[in-house]
Amino acid sequence: MPATVGVIANPASGRDIRRLVAGASVFDNAEKGSMVFRAMAGLGEAGVERVLMMPAADGVGAALERQLSGRRGALAEAPFPVLEVLGQASTGTAQDTVAAVREMVARDVAAIVVLGGDGTHRLVAAHCGDIPLLALSTGTNNAFPEMREATVAGLAAGLVATGAAPADGTVVREHGLEVSTNGRRELALVDVAVSTERFVGSRALWKAGSVSELFVAFAGPSAIGLSAIAGILDPVARGEGEALHVRLAPPGEAARTVRVPLAPGLIAPVGVRDHRRIAAGETVALPAAAGCLALDGEREIEHSEADAATVRLVPGPRRIDVDAVMRLTRAAAT
Amino acid sequence: MSTAAAPGTGELTKEDMLEHYRVMRTIREFEERLHREFATGEIPGFVHLYAGEEAIAAGVCAHLGPDDYVASTHRGHGHAIAKGCGVKAMMAEIYGKKTGLCHGKGGSMHIADLDKGMLGANGIVGGGPPLVCGVGLSAKVRGTDQVGVSFTGDGGSNQGTFLESLNLASVWDAPCVFVVENNGYAEATSSTYHQKGVDVAKRADGFGMPGIVVDGHDFFAVHEAAGEAIRRARSGGGPTLLECKVNRYFGHFEGDQQTYRAPDEVESIRATRDCLDQFVKRVTSAGLAEQPDLDKIDAEVAELLDSAVAEAKAGPDPTGEDLLTDVYVRY
Repeated sequence: MPATVGVIANPASGRDIRRLVAGASVFDNAEKGSMVFRAMAGLGEAGVERVLMMPAADGVGAALERQLSGRRGALAEAPFPVLEVLGQASTGTAQDTVAAVREMVARDVAAIVVLGGDGTHRLVAAHCGDIPLLALSTGTNNAFPEMREATVAGLAAGLVATGAAPADGTVVREHGLEVSTNGRRELALVDVAVSTERFVGSRALWKAGSVSELFVAFAGPSAIGLSAIAGILDPVARGEGEALHVRLAPPGEAARTVRVPLAPGLIAPVGVRDHRRIAAGETVALPAAAGCLALDGEREIEHSEADAATVRLVPGPRRIDVDAVMRLTRAAAT
Repeated sequence: MSTAAAPGTGELTKEDMLEHYRVMRTIREFEERLHREFATGEIPGFVHLYAGEEAIAAGVCAHLGPDDYVASTHRGHGHAIAKGCGVKAMMAEIYGKKTGLCHGKGGSMHIADLDKGMLGANGIVGGGPPLVCGVGLSAKVRGTDQVGVSFTGDGGSNQGTFLESLNLASVWDAPCVFVVENNGYAEATSSTYHQKGVDVAKRADGFGMPGIVVDGHDFFAVHEAAGEAIRRARSGGGPTLLECKVNRYFGHFEGDQQTYRAPDEVESIRATRDCLDQFVKRVTSAGLAEQPDLDKIDAEVAELLDSAVAEAKAGPDPTGEDLLTDVYVRY
């Protein structure tokens, strides 16, 4: 069936303080544009007819247009979707992503391709409802999106979007951590950290010593970032339906100290007081202390001792499992 | 105005909070007052006001000592105040009086005080960055831990001088921090029109230095990021480009009709993002300061500005002989 797919490529991802305090990489925007081009090749191959894209400034759109208009030979003959850049006004803020996702939901896209980090994906997940996401990482410090070749990932998203791949077993329901405080509700896709930092400041949470408690929705043993703490203690697979709650302590006072890859280029000791699994739906109250709550590695909420806050594991966005799509569709073709 | 190095976020004390507030409130009051006084026609020359951008000057300069240098822009009052220049002498300078910081010969756009490490406001757009390359080279050659910080606008970031300075500081591994105050307009031209792309910080990539973006309305964001960039420069880690996204409350210059801005643009920013309002709300709810302490500072600052304006108006004009002083420097 003819399908339209949305594309969100965050031009502003990867500019936080981790470039100063750790070895975080800089992901070039021309490469983001090239990734969209390659994803479009895969989407077109699967029969997707139209791509709705958030206006992409800072070289993303320029690189994409250059590659689209410069197609020669086999590339010129291959089917490509029509590119429609959304007409929204660009503000250069996170609001651009929210507005674009809302438009994509209204236009009933069959899938959304997201290029960005955990923060970008969190924003999309909060507004996309049940539309399946193709989560692609544009950096080295992410847990939710994967580092993948965009051509094949685009093909997989296209096969799901057109219905050529069965949704069963190829689109998985992720879990997220819902934080509730003072009537405000936020969803984290990977982790929630309780930090003693008083202010949101430059947002990225980069001082591990400031974290007193950590909730992790999933953590592989090879994760990087705060979730790597859980990945070492008790790995939780995606979609397992349980979260891990870790209480930390200064390494000198902790029951156990583990060395954790907290950021690209930064491996540091982390003291662990205890940890336990949390079932889906179980509500855990956070300790009453002044500080910040960080969602997916970014300080988001400043709170005082008087502010009550809770965390619970809830159903999150639906994510396209690229390997599963390719396995099933290729098996069907042979 | 104390400019002693402040401890990093996480070790913030009440004294620090009150000092940062005093710096920001002094800049705001200075600029609001100039906005009113300029309308009377008594002030010679042009003035370009910094109101709205206070968190940047305060957040950056909190990490600098008197031996560190800043190079400013034509919108330089905030940088001068945050770097410790005397408010009364600054006001007298803007009124063109002999009692001014530069004996009335510099005016708003050339306020300088080398003793405070303030290399000057600068009438040349993009004029500051090359100066701090010199600061960086000098500190490196002499083996000191001094740092040079330049401030540039989004318009200035299109100048060759700015881009050449990024290259020079990078190849020298110079202890420099290039702060871009991206207020969205180069004079009357929107940055969406004068620049391809949203983030000036990305230009750092081409010069092999880190480029990061923070909210210039948020004192704590600027303070934290500038602290790390300055620490990095001081310890031999090389230069950083720090872009602060911000808005100015007044026109490019006083008298600018601002027909290029939406009618309610400034009002909505003042209502929702003001750096002083945010700061007050957050430090009081965090229990790091109490409203009466802040009110007391407001009163002291208002009094300081009243007497600064009165003394500036009453001050003596430079004489004919003054034209021949401070023309050449022996070195």
